This record gives sequence, structure tokens and C-alpha cells, in this order.
Amino acid sequence: MSRKIERLINLTIALLATKRYLTKSEIFRSVEGYEGSEETKERMFERDKDDLRNLGVAIEVGSFDPVFEDEAGYRIKPEKYSLDLGEISGVQIALLSLAAEAWRGAALDTSAHSALTKLRSVGVESDLDALPAIAPRFNAAHKDFQIITSAISKRARISFTYVSPTLELQLRTIEPYAIATKASFWYLAGNDLEKSELRTFRLDRIDGDISISKDLQKYEIPNGFDLFSQFENQELVGIATVDVRKGKAQLLRTHALSTVDMGEWDRITTSYISSQRFIELVLWHGDDALIIEPQDLRKEIVAKLTEIVAHHV
Amino acid sequence: MSKPTQTPLGRTARLLDLVPFLATHQGIELKALSENFEVTDAQMVADLTTLWMCGLPGYTPLELMDLSFESGFVTIHNAETLSHPRALSDEEIIALLLGLDVVIASLPSDRSDLKLIALDLVERLSTRSSIPSKMSAVPATPGSVRAIIESSLLEKRAMEILYHSSYSDEISRRVVTPIELREENGFEYLWGVCQSAHALRSFRLDRIQEAASKSNVAEAIPALTNDQSHGISYTIHAHSRPREVIERFAIDKEEFTEKARVVSFSHEWIKRSVLASAGSAEVVEPATIRSEIRSSAQLILDRYETN
Repeated sequence: MSRKIERLINLTIALLATKRYLTKSEIFRSVEGYEGSEETKERMFERDKDDLRNLGVAIEVGSFDPVFEDEAGYRIKPEKYSLDLGEISGVQIALLSLAAEAWRGAALDTSAHSALTKLRSVGVESDLDALPAIAPRFNAAHKDFQIITSAISKRARISFTYVSPTLELQLRTIEPYAIATKASFWYLAGNDLEKSELRTFRLDRIDGDISISKDLQKYEIPNGFDLFSQFENQELVGIATVDVRKGKAQLLRTHALSTVDMGEWDRITTSYISSQRFIELVLWHGDDALIIEPQDLRKEIVAKLTEIVAHHV
Repeated sequence: MSKPTQTPLGRTARLLDLVPFLATHQGIELKALSENFEVTDAQMVADLTTLWMCGLPGYTPLELMDLSFESGFVTIHNAETLSHPRALSDEEIIALLLGLDVVIASLPSDRSDLKLIALDLVERLSTRSSIPSKMSAVPATPGSVRAIIESSLLEKRAMEILYHSSYSDEISRRVVTPIELREENGFEYLWGVCQSAHALRSFRLDRIQEAASKSNVAEAIPALTNDQSHGISYTIHAHSRPREVIERFAIDKEEFTEKARVVSFSHEWIKRSVLASAGSAEVVEPATIRSEIRSSAQLILDRYETN
């Protein structure tokens, strides 16, 4: 095993150091570790190339002599191989370190850690003292979280079992576009192949394992795709007027657009995305919150309350 | 904590990253080096030995990398070709982009200078990734609050928090001696002794609006008055939207048919949760809670009729 690793490292060094394309025969002649019959060497080299590509090392194929297109040559361009974030300061390194630290013990720990090692190898001392004492942290998401990011990177389909609103277990296969988190929940968006439309999934509603498709049917991620703005466009935003008791209904007040003092009560206006969610939020506040407008929200909340009374008679 | 990557590819990646790290950390202690790469010392020595056999074609001492580590301190020379760190992979960029988002959200409002620097980094990383979609993170807990909680925990110091209790719908200041952080149902909770209640309490982190460490004096954990309310056991029946019901009442999916027995610590919380379920959940028993919910809903209904 060690010999294979040595060969991969030596191949990387040789292809990085060369200023022109190296032909296969030059590689076999000069890079240590290519032994055996011509056929064996060919097979070794093909596998090594795939392995390095899987490590993210881009090997360029070209012809070193454009006139005689006889034999392909190979090289690794240093500017493609190396980390290049432009001019970077100690404060920037410190911010990136904090960003990586946020994953400690959480889903992307491994990727964050290897990124951190690369950043520490730039040779710029991290200036942590320049930052305020903050410690952002991610919560645990799904155990197979890393499979999702790896699938997005490779543009590979994933499959999983999803819990439907009626608790049925449905097998879903999607082309993942993005992951994002808000208010403790992680979301995954992608093209649902069966429904052939964009769908968003909450990670904690995925039941069991996530599997990545072996068949590399590549797909395109829409440029600039943003999971959250997708959310916002889903439904029309409405404006409601609600009376809330003084000192109560904090969750409604935090989103108030305006507040008018009416003595024992305050009259606030607030925007909402889904009438269902908004009614739930108002009901949470019991008799401390009363919808004044719009009329259809009032009708809906009255219907829900009637249902609750009927269930509890 | 060590998760050695022992596949040939994993080891190759580590060796490639080891060279630039050594080049910028000449003379690093072997132990510190193994820790950084999360491998055992023996594995690190094996890695260094392999590297020592690598270099430019020719492979005479002039071309081979020159490593020394017998003294317990590691140096590397003659390794210029590999001495630049490798480009970040898309997965590493995703981790950093999401991380930067929570860093930005955690910065105090008077540090817009740092925010600009971080936003510039987001821009730089995005252009270096092959992924055209946006990864974003809105943290549940502001990092500034978390930093104070963590340092108070570490130093076993009391702290004052401004807490929004969702079930009593009140914002109050409390002095808490922190004990530990726990995660339940995807939310983080601070467990500690609330000095105003003289009792063990849990506080959901995203509802702590402000936090400040108290004096330097280490305060002993006050004696607990044994008021820890006993759990209230009740039965929930889902009439519709069962997924919402099991999530709201933290019912185990495997144990759920149509009804489930659940335990909660607060009457108030049960009542509010059933109301907020908007007709999809019913408390089957105990009868006292049933009638409370009924009269509560009736009271609100009456209000809608007169207003």
C-alpha cells in the first residue's frame, strides 16, 4: 500500500514540476514505481489518474507539440493545484478558523478540519485576538449530512425515506441543489425526480440512511439558487391586524410592523407567509391575541376554535 | 477523536497536506503534528517515512525531500514543489461558507468592519467553488450569547440572562448557575440552577436573548428546593396532520398509532400546544386538562363574536 502512495505522490510532484506536458512514456521512464509489462503500467497509470482526480487534483491532458498530434501529454498546473484566496491577512485567517471551528463535533467536522489545515499552511499567523469572543456552533443535523454535501459537490443523485405529513414513509430520489439552516432546522432542496419539481426537505424528517447514487448521471444546479428565497416566493405574504394584550404575545410582537397603544391592549400589524402557520402562532397566545383583520383569517381561526371545542366536549 | 484515514487515497491526501503544513511549521513537535492531523504518533512516523522516499524524478538525495524527525521535532527541506497548500475542495468550501454565515450573524453590531471582511471572504470562496447555488446558515443562537454561556460553564460562574419563556409568554431576567449544555429534539438547552426559583431549570438557547457573566466570585450551586414539578402524563389523539402532532408533542414516531401517552412538565405548555395545533390534536385525558382547553377555546370564541 505504501508503494502505491509513494507512486501517487511522486507522480503529483513530477506533473507539478514540469513546465510542459509529459508523455506517458516519459512518465513511465522517469517516475518511480511504474514497473511490469507495458499493459500493467498502462493500467496502473489510468488508475492513478482517477485516484488523483478523486482527490481534487486536476490533471490536464494536452499535446506538447501541436504540430505532431501523436501522443497526449499530462501535467498539473500549479495555479489549479494550489490554494489561492488572494492576499490574505491574519484577521481573515482567524475568521475562517472560527467558521471551521463552528463545525467541531458536528456534521461537517472532517471537511472543516481539512480546510483548516490548508489555511494554517498558508503561512499567515491567525490573528484571533482581533476578534471579539464569539463561539458560533452548529447543532447536529442528520448523521448522513456529509453524504449530502459530497453529492452536491459531485452532482450525484441521493435517495432517502421521507416522513410525509400523514406519517407515510416515502422513498424520494432527488438531485440535491443546496443545504441551509434556519432556526435550528436543516433544509435540503433539490429536484425531486418523481415529482419532477423543486422540493425542500427538512433533514430531521428523513428516516434512516441517505444513499448516494453510483450512477453518475450529472445534472446542473441552477445558477444562484437560494433555498430561502425559494421559500419566500412560495406563497403571497399577507398583512394582518392583531390585538395583543399589554406585556404579552412576545412572539407576535417581534414581527410587528406597527404598534398602536390602546390601553389594556396594543393593536399591531404584522406580515405572514402562511395563514395556517399564522393562525397556529396566534392560537398559541390563547386569549392574549385576537385577529382583527383580514376577515378570512378571522373566519378560519373561528372555525379552528370551534373544532377544538368540539374535540374536547 | 482520532479518525485515521487509512485508505490509500486518504493517506495520499494527508501526505500532500502534510508537506505545506510542515513547511510553515518547521520544528513542530511530532506529538502536536499527529494531533493536528488526528492520527497516532506511530501513524505519523509511518507517513513521514513514506514522504521521505518521495521527490522529483531522479530520486537521488538531491531530488528527494529531506525530512528529519528522529529528535521528536519535525523539519522538512527540499520540498518546494509541494509546499503550497492544495486548493480547497467543494466540500471544504461548503463547510467554510456555512461557517462564515454563522460567524457573521454572531458578530456584535458595532463590528461592521469584521462583517465586511467576512462578506468579502464569502465572495472569494464562492467564486472558487464549482457549486452555483447558495448555502446559507441562520444560527439559532447568537454566537455572542453562546460565548458567554461557554465561558461561564467553564469557569463555573453564575450568569444573568434575559430569557423569553415561550409557555408563560414572559421575558424575565434570571440569575443562573450553569451546569451543562444538552441537545434535545434538535434544540440546545442550558441546564442550570435558577437562583430566583432555587431549582433546576432548562433554558432553550435560542430563547436566551442576552447573557452576562456575574462577578468573579465562584458561587456555589445553591441548595435546591425540591419544587421540581412532577411530570404531567396525558394522552394525545391526532385528528389530522399527524406529523405536525408528533413533532409538536415530541412523540416517538415508532410508538405512534393514533394516540400516544406523553409526559410534559407544564399545564400551560400542554394547553398552548393543543390550541396551536388548530384542531389536529385532542387531549383525551386527564379530564381536567380537557375541560381547561375547552373553556379556553370557548372564551376566545366568545371574544371573536363580541369583537
